[in-house]
Amino acid sequence: MASKANRPDLVVDGKRLDGRAMDELRQLKIEANVLKNADGSAYLEWGRNKVLAAVYGPTETQPKHMADQTKAIIKCRYQMAPFSSLEDHGRTGPNRRAIEISKVTKEAFENVVMLNEFPGSMINIFIEILQSDGGTRAAGITAAAVALAGAGIHMKDLIYAVSVGKIGEHLVLDLNMKEDNYSDSDMPMAISPRNNNILLLQMDGEYTGEELHRAMEMAIEAGKTIGKIQRDALRSVYTNVAEKYESV
Amino acid sequence: MKEIILPGDLVSDKPIRNSYTYIEDGKTYSMVLGTIEREPLSIVPLESVWSPRIEDTVVGIVTSARNSVYEVDLRFHGRSIIIGGKFERFSFNVGDVVEATVKDIEEKRTIILSYPRLLSGGTLISVKTAKIPRIIGRDNTMIKQIADKSKSSIIVGKNGLIWLKGGDIALATKAILTVQEEAHVSGLTERIKKLMENGER
Repeated sequence: MASKANRPDLVVDGKRLDGRAMDELRQLKIEANVLKNADGSAYLEWGRNKVLAAVYGPTETQPKHMADQTKAIIKCRYQMAPFSSLEDHGRTGPNRRAIEISKVTKEAFENVVMLNEFPGSMINIFIEILQSDGGTRAAGITAAAVALAGAGIHMKDLIYAVSVGKIGEHLVLDLNMKEDNYSDSDMPMAISPRNNNILLLQMDGEYTGEELHRAMEMAIEAGKTIGKIQRDALRSVYTNVAEKYESV
Repeated sequence: MKEIILPGDLVSDKPIRNSYTYIEDGKTYSMVLGTIEREPLSIVPLESVWSPRIEDTVVGIVTSARNSVYEVDLRFHGRSIIIGGKFERFSFNVGDVVEATVKDIEEKRTIILSYPRLLSGGTLISVKTAKIPRIIGRDNTMIKQIADKSKSSIIVGKNGLIWLKGGDIALATKAILTVQEEAHVSGLTERIKKLMENGER
């Protein structure tokens, strides 16, 4: 897809292609409870990514043989819309990549959702990528966490995800599509901010041990900003109603 | 308005048992999106999933009727059934709206209902289950006020379905939906009173 021969200069004068510093996030905007018919939902814009996440459940497990009588199961469907990307993402239904991302997203949430409370049931998470520009799995997890909290599902924490990559000797936070294609390595992580547990870690490319530690620190630092935006999105649903009557 | 807490927020440095918190390393954390009062600790979830309790009144729709066993759709993630029999007087058809009481819950999954009653005619509306306590109000005050002023008969199912019949259904529905929307904002009772008297806010 991207070869070293036609690689553009990703870092010029200490700035990245879109003018960001190495540890700077793209602009992030989240709106909670956007879909009326879902139990919980969130719309997220992260740079040029546009993501819609919806949560239904807990509901009766379908198909029935998948039900676990001791705990709830989580089903996740990550999907890119056919019009989401410049390339062929999403054009032919679920593919290897979409199935993989659905699986890792599901496993990240299995660590924080209180599954024992609804035995035999299933919780459905749908992540639709409407427009993609790199880092959509991180965007999907960040949006789905807001949707789950908005659905009233008991969780240990409001998790977030972000990626850290490497361009030459630089470690860069939150890669966009171009950086992702041409970077030396890329590592999306999902983190539970309460205790900084890593719930998802995937890596393309190579890091030294020392770089890995620095990358994790960058992600945890960025998580403070992401977490605040997630929380504000959920809070504003209720404070907006309150503001009509009270001066908060 | 009250302070809002989110999943993972620290509730207390000490371990405290509460339906909406969990304890880890001797500290208490929230597991819901809700409002909190710290002294004394009370957490009211803003969103929730209904978990049935015995004696709960529920409203549902009959989805199958076979051998005097009626399955009822309560918007619940498990099964809910009414067991009939030779000595019972009721019989329902698929699609009937019924009111019933939770008699037993088996392993958090199967609800056994008793005292079923057919609700014929009327309107069914669906609300968030987290707001049901507020719609009913302390000692039924809220729902009584709405029912009295609109002259409708209203049955509130704890599972989030509300059945209304007769009177000014539009006004009663509007009042209920307003309670759902504004449950966390103080002065609600006054606003609903005004709404019921003037027909608008």
